[in-house]
Formats: sequence, structure tokens, C-alpha cells
Amino acid sequence: MTIEIILQAIVAGLIMGLIYALIAAGLSLIFGLMEIVNFAHGEHLMLSMFTSFWLWSLLGLDPLFSVPITILLMAVCGVVTHYMLIRYILKAKMLIQICATFGLSIFIRSVAQLLWTPDYRNVENPLMEGRIELGTIYVGQPQLFASLICLLAFMGLYWFVTKTETGLALQATAQDRHAAEILGIPSDKMFALGWAIGLGCVAVAGSMMMNYFAVFTDVGINFALFAFVAVALGGFGSIIGCLYAGIIIGLVESLGGLLIDPSFKLLYVFAIYLLVVIYRPQGLFGRY
Amino acid sequence: MLDKLSLAKKEPVWKNNNKVLYFLGSTVLLLFCLPFFNVNSFYLHLFIMIFMHSVMAQSWNVIAGFSGQISLGHGLFFGIGAYATSFLFTEYGITPWIGIIFGMFVSGIIAILIGIPMLRLHGHYFAIATLLIAIGFSLVFRRWDLVGAASGLWIPILPTDSWVALQFNSSKVPYYYIFLAFFLVTFLLSWLLSRSKLGYRLRAVRDDPQAASSLCINVSHYKIIAYVISAIMMAPMGSLFAQYILVIDPATVFNIEISIVVLLITVLGGVGNIWGPLLGTVILIPISEYTRIYFGGTGGAVDLILYGLILMLICVFRPNGLISFFHRNVLDRKQKR
Amino acid sequence: MKKTIITILSFLSLVCLPAMGLAKDVKIGVIYPLTGSSAQIGKDAVAAVNTALDIINNKHDIPGMPLAENEGLSGLNGAKVSIVVGDHTGKPDVGVSETEKMLNDGVHAMYGAYFSSVVAAASTVTERAGIPFVNGDSASPKLTSRGLKYFFRVGPHDGMFTQLMFEFIQDFNKKNNANLNTLGILHEDTLWGSDSGSTQNKMAKEQGLKVIEKISYKASTTTLTSEVQRLKAKDPDVLLPSQYTADAFLFLNTAKELDYNPKLLIAQNAGYVDPTFISTLGDNAEGVISRSPFNTDLAKTIPMIGTINEVFKKYSGGRDLSDVPARAFTGFMALAVAINNAGSTDPDKIREGLVNLDIPGEALIVPYRGVKFGPDGQNDAVRGVLMQVQNGKYCTVYPYELAACDLVYPMPTWDKK
Repeated sequence: MTIEIILQAIVAGLIMGLIYALIAAGLSLIFGLMEIVNFAHGEHLMLSMFTSFWLWSLLGLDPLFSVPITILLMAVCGVVTHYMLIRYILKAKMLIQICATFGLSIFIRSVAQLLWTPDYRNVENPLMEGRIELGTIYVGQPQLFASLICLLAFMGLYWFVTKTETGLALQATAQDRHAAEILGIPSDKMFALGWAIGLGCVAVAGSMMMNYFAVFTDVGINFALFAFVAVALGGFGSIIGCLYAGIIIGLVESLGGLLIDPSFKLLYVFAIYLLVVIYRPQGLFGRY
Repeated sequence: MLDKLSLAKKEPVWKNNNKVLYFLGSTVLLLFCLPFFNVNSFYLHLFIMIFMHSVMAQSWNVIAGFSGQISLGHGLFFGIGAYATSFLFTEYGITPWIGIIFGMFVSGIIAILIGIPMLRLHGHYFAIATLLIAIGFSLVFRRWDLVGAASGLWIPILPTDSWVALQFNSSKVPYYYIFLAFFLVTFLLSWLLSRSKLGYRLRAVRDDPQAASSLCINVSHYKIIAYVISAIMMAPMGSLFAQYILVIDPATVFNIEISIVVLLITVLGGVGNIWGPLLGTVILIPISEYTRIYFGGTGGAVDLILYGLILMLICVFRPNGLISFFHRNVLDRKQKR
Repeated sequence: MKKTIITILSFLSLVCLPAMGLAKDVKIGVIYPLTGSSAQIGKDAVAAVNTALDIINNKHDIPGMPLAENEGLSGLNGAKVSIVVGDHTGKPDVGVSETEKMLNDGVHAMYGAYFSSVVAAASTVTERAGIPFVNGDSASPKLTSRGLKYFFRVGPHDGMFTQLMFEFIQDFNKKNNANLNTLGILHEDTLWGSDSGSTQNKMAKEQGLKVIEKISYKASTTTLTSEVQRLKAKDPDVLLPSQYTADAFLFLNTAKELDYNPKLLIAQNAGYVDPTFISTLGDNAEGVISRSPFNTDLAKTIPMIGTINEVFKKYSGGRDLSDVPARAFTGFMALAVAINNAGSTDPDKIREGLVNLDIPGEALIVPYRGVKFGPDGQNDAVRGVLMQVQNGKYCTVYPYELAACDLVYPMPTWDKK
């Protein structure tokens, strides 16, 4: 177990971690705004990946170039979800909110299976291929690119939320929607925007992954799990928390798998979550 | 306060007490006599599934409906019950009846172990924690060679039916009665719970933990009690299921779908109300069986689409569950919004 | 009182609803996963069964294929065979429920179901009911070690395939004076992968080969980097993966990314023989070896494969025959031949027909030596092949007498592919 192998694991973990972080950021944004956990987040990821795939398959657009279109489509999807479902459960009990997004996840997954069959799909010969060697560390080009884009998107999100007027309006709605409304910020539109951005994040992550991952109707489940852990670990409502949590999860998965036993990788991630949450129930940066 | 408590206890559960008792009584009688009508085994199976899911949903209702903690990983206790009986039987030949008690015991212990650190977490954190723990159990059992790893435990088919070994191969009828018995007992216990001091305290904890603790109700203490009760109620269903199907593996008994179905049924029927799980089961189980039969064969997952759609519609239009069509729950007047 | 009478009457009417199956035709219940992650495999299998049905019920000119030349089963005076299809969604209790329903519909035998856990549970039901359950495509060895009287498996189980792999390793060592003796086992953690992995582990010990790394990972995982890193560090002579499609892609892509070059990779088929495996991975698949009970290049030695494939394409929406549907087809035909021989739809006579079944290898589209069940219900005449991806196609390389190509060893490294 040389230093190089460990470094390799760290790099791999960081790369995956950034992707987990972006997926979690979308989830966290939505929760921060309206205190609803989107249990269909994994399915939204799956939809982004499929969108990217179909744009390649039907129009010949490489996943790299179709990203803006995917973002737009998923943002529209987010707005539609808000207006057709979420709007009605905003005031309901937490249980009902969980069940509603849960039902949405089953619905999306099954419709996808009806339309596209459960078969595995892959983008063949993507533009991004190959491997970069930094000394003895190997990094796949598509993976590195994906994670850098995710990091950029994350920073863009952070800048948007903290520095632009709309972003600040979002934060205001998140903190106290009634007060925000009094000040003229329409909370309904803010929520829709939140959904649009949240799913937009997922769109970026998903389409980047199409360069090297296979898509199938159940692909979202595992990623959703990590996203939930990341959001809870980082603290519900905190976007910066997602970044740290995503990276921690990526590293724990990678190093734990390497040094201890890959068969139990997930348990290490879960264990970290449980420990953090017992000793610091609000997560790392959470509000409560 | 004591006056109000005794007044509340004397309040009738239903407006028209006698008619409803009569209806209930005759339904129970009918259920007892059902096998004598020469009903074919598919319908017996359907009823067995209904009884089983009712008890499972009822157990989840105790932790979610009565004490307000949403567990997304409740299926874990089902799996423990299933493995407890099967392991004792296949390894040591111990009768499943003792296995059931062992399963309940183990579930209770695990509930305490999970409950003590986790139950102080707020809503979403607790929900996700239960989800992860349940998946964790599934992963561990898939790799644990002592209990068969991913193959699970396959109970040998005995040459003759046996009450001692809880295995009946010539007919489903004994299974039907055993499940019916557990169903009725659980229902009765839930009803007693809801009318007892413990039940009131649990609901106080659910509705307003701060107010409850100001009245000297030890909130975390009661939450753990509720969790343990619900675990103990769930475990026997896993045990009986194992004896019914005779093949259990982690993918089936530790499947996250069990936790989910239990949640769906209770929400559909109405949470916090002892009739909710029953109503939800009676509607959902036949629907899911029949949609799979009529639509599932085409491979289009149409039955699952309906499932998701029903769930979303209930959440939007009838969040109190279908039970709200029938009556406003007299004992749970305060529905916090 | 009225209410009770009405309820009783409605129960009775529900009871009488399931129409009795007409006793003349032979009805067989078929269950496969038609939803969920293995749905495509399930659909292919059902298409294969429909292909068999077409052959049986209609006149076809396929020399050597039993039951092809007549319409229906000649042993039952031309009775046609019909099937009732059910979706077990991958869950044993759903499989049980579907089987129960089909038994109530009056099926004369059950067939299916790909998932070993579902087969285990469903065959328990049929055993209790005294109805034969025939399986063509489930690989868990435990299925035929339960002492059941009404369960028959036409296809091989993982023990036999693993046996084939180890025979190959020993043969290879002898032939080339090599000394391959360290193994790496990588498997996903569902029933199939686990069984496969533990069978390989056990057999390795029995044959004196050292397993230096055995890794199980959660199926459909998001990353396999730690796994590949460990394998690369230990560098076993032979890698034995048991993976489904998405994982197989992920693994090979990760291995490429991290430059892990196993000298020999022998897969337990599944994902590695998925119809899209080669087309998706392109050159990256070169050198991969997989066991299989079937390969389309066998059409050179077994011409029936081509004809059957054409019929299959009608039912599968244009997809070609592959491993699982080939086994499903063979199993169903075996059941039909047994019923034909029995000349009756009585379950015990069908069982007799199966016990005494003896189909020669020439009548099959798979390279088994024949269909003849041992006392445990397992077809002892199975035979599989090992095939290697060479120049973009899977080519049979072992057993040497069926080989169409020479083995390429070691597997070409990533920069050479």
C-alpha cells in the first residue's frame, strides 16, 4: 500500500466527491427554500442523464455540447414540478411532503421504464475520452472534466445565491417567506426558481456523467442516497456544507474501500453520517 | 386535567356505537368462516397479504402516527423477524413459535440501540438515518455467511404439515388462521394503546413535544417506548412470512420497498388513526395485485405508475388519508397543520 | 343481515369467476422479471418462449428440431400449447403470488424465472401442489440440492460453469507450461453474484488455486475505483468477475482509467454477454473472456441457430438470440417434449416424462451434450463454452474441440487496444 496508491484513491475520491456535492447542492437549495426534501432527486438525475443521451442519440449532439439544452429542459421540469405538485403540499405535514415526492419518484421511474425500457444505454465514442497521467496518478479525462465542471457550477451557484439580487431574494424567502413577501418578493416565483436551479444543478452533473457512465432507469437510486447523506451531513439548507460533505463522502468511500474493505464502502459513509448527526445533530453547517 | 381525561375515555369511539360494533362483529365472523366457502388459494393468499400488511402498517402507525417520528427504514424489523425464526429453525431445529418470540426480542433490543442515539434527531435527519440503517442491515446481511449471505435461508419442505414447525404444505388455511389471529390481536392491542395513558402521552409527544415535556412527560423516553413497541409488532410478520414462503433472502426481507409500502398504506388510509392502516391495506393490496396481473405482464410498469400517481393524488387532495371520508377522529381533534 | 348476505354472495361470485382452463390444450405458466433492472432479460426470455411456442404449434421445416414439423403436440393428438405470462418483478413473494394464481388458472406446469431466489420460492409452491416446475436459465447451484421431486433444471448452474473455467485454467497451464495460480474474484452482491463468487472461492480452494482477493460490491454502484485499485495492487493471474451490465461497463472503464491490465479475465457472463456489451465498449472489450452456454458463432456448427434466430427476432422486436433467451428456449422445448412423450396433461405423468427425458445434443441450439436429468433434477449433460472477444466479436476458444479461434494470452493492455 504505497503512498502513490493512497494518493490515487484521494484523487478519485475528490473527483467523485465534487459530483456528489453538486447533486446534493440542488437538493439543499430546494430544502433551504421550502423545507421539502426532494425524494425524487435521484430520478431527476436519471432524467438529466437520459435527456443528454437522447440528445446524443437523436440529434447527434455530444454530451459536452448539449449541457445548456439539458439544463434548460431540467429547469423547466423543475418549474413544472413545483406548479403541479409541490405548490399543494407546502403547508402539509412533513410526512405528506415526504410521501408526495416519494410518489413522484416512483412515478417518474416507472414512466421512464415504460417509455424507454429498463435497458442500459451508453453514449458511444464521446468526445471526452482517455486518460491523463500526473506522475503515477491516473485520472480519466471525462471524470476529471466532469468534476471540474461540477466545481465550477457549484461556485457559480454560490456566487449567484450570495451576490446577485435574485439570489439574495432567494435567501430571504428561505429565511422568512412572509417577511420577504411583505417586501415584495413573490415567494411562489422564488420557489419555482429554486426548483429550476436545483434541477439545473442535477442536469449539469448528469450530463457530465454521460461521458463515462451508463444510464438506466434505476441509476438515480444510489446517487440519491449519497445526496441525502451529503445534505444531512453538510446541514440542511447550507450550500457550502454540501461541498464539504460531498468531498468527505467521496474520500471516505474511496479511502475506506481501499484501506479497509471495498465490500463495506457504503457502511463507512453511513457510519460517518450517523456519528456526525449524533454529536452534532444539525450537521456541519446546518441551521437547526 | 384528570376530569377531562376520564371524560375523554368515556367518549364513544364512534357516533353510532351499536351499528358499528355489529358491522365489525359480523365482518370478523365472516373472516373466520371464509375458508369454509371453498375459496381458492389465490384469494386466501390475498387475504393473508392483507392481514400481514395491516399489521405491518399498524406497527408503523405507532411510531409515526402516535409519536410523530417518521421511520423510512421500518422494514428492517421485518427482516430481523424473518431471519430470527429461519435461522433458529434451519440451524438448531427450534420451533418457529419460539423463533417468533426470539425475533421480537432481538427487534426490541435493536430498536433500543437505534432509538437512544437517533430519536433525538429532528424530523428529516431521523428519517434519513432510519433509511441508511435499514440499507446498512441489508448490506451486512448480504455478506454475512452465517445466515447464508445473499442466498439467504431456505427452509426445507417437510413431508407433512406441522403446527410445531409452522409449516403447512397441503393447504393455506392454517396460515390464514394464524395470520388472522395475529391481525386481530394486533388490532386490539393498537386500539387499547390508543385509549390508554401511554397512547395519550405518545400523542402529546407527537403534537407538541415542548408542551408535553413541560408537563413532566419524558419525551425521549416515550419516543423510545413507541419505537420499541412498533418494532415488536413488526417482527412477527417477518417470522410468519418466512414460514409462509419458505425462502428468505436479504433482497426480499430487507428490501427498502417493505418500508415504503408500509408508509404508503398508512398515509393512504390515514396516519395516527387505528383504522387508517386497515383501510389503506384493504384498498392498496388488491389494487396492487390486480394492476400487476392485468397490466404488469406487459412489462410496462403500468402498475407502478398507478402507485406513484395514487400516492401523489392522496398527498395533494386528501392528506389526512381516506379515513377522513368516514369520520373526523374524535380522539384526535387537533390535527396540527 | 342483508349486508351479510350480500357480502357472502359477492364472495361466492368472486370465487367462481376464474374461468376453468379448457382441458384440451396444454397450459403452461411462465414467470419472468418484466419490470425492474432485469426487465430486458425477462422480455427476451418471454420472446424465446414465444418462439418455442411458434415452433411447437405451427408447421416449420427445421430438420432436427423436435416438435417442429407438426402443428401442436402429436403425442396429445395435436393439442396446442398456450402460455400464461406473469411478471414476478424480481421478488420471490410476487413470484409465489403469480404462481399461485396460475395454478388456480389450471396450468399444467410452471416455467421460469431467471432470478434464482424467485425460482426457489415459486418451486416451493409447485412442489407443494405436485406440479412440475422446469427452469432453463437460473444458475444458483442450491436450486437442485433441495431434494425436490417436481423441480427440473435444464440449464447449467454456476458450479458447472466455474468447473469449466477451472478446467480451462488447468488445461492452459498444462498446454502452455504456464503457472497461473492466483485468482482475484470480484462480484456484485445480489444472490447471483454472491453465489457465483462463493462457488468460485470454494472450487478454487478444492483445486489448489489461491484466491488472493475477493471483493463484493453493491450492485449498480456509483464507483469502482477502490476495487480496481486493490486488484491492481494485488495483480492476480486470473480475474473472475461476476457482474451485470452497468457494473461491467463501469469496471472496464475504471480499469482503463487506472491502467489495470489483468492478464486473463474470465467473466461469469451476465453483463459481459449483454447484446450491447461489445458495441458500447468497442475496442476496450478486446481480450475479455466469458463463459457462456451459447454463442452466435456456434451457428457455424449448429445451423438451426440461424433459423431459430429469425423466428426469435419476430418476437423480440429485432433483437438477436443471446445467452439467456437461448437457454429459455431450450428449457421450454425440453418441457414440451416431455409433455409430448407423456401423452397427457396429468402432472405426475408430465413428471415421469421429464424424469425419462433424453434429448440428444443435435436437437438443441445450445452446445449441451443433451438433456437428461439426474436424480436431483439437474440436467447432467450440460456443457458450456468459453469465448473471447477478438476483433470485435465473441469467438469460442474452449473447449478446444469446439473452438473457432485460438486464445489470445495475455489480454492486450489498454494502450494496445
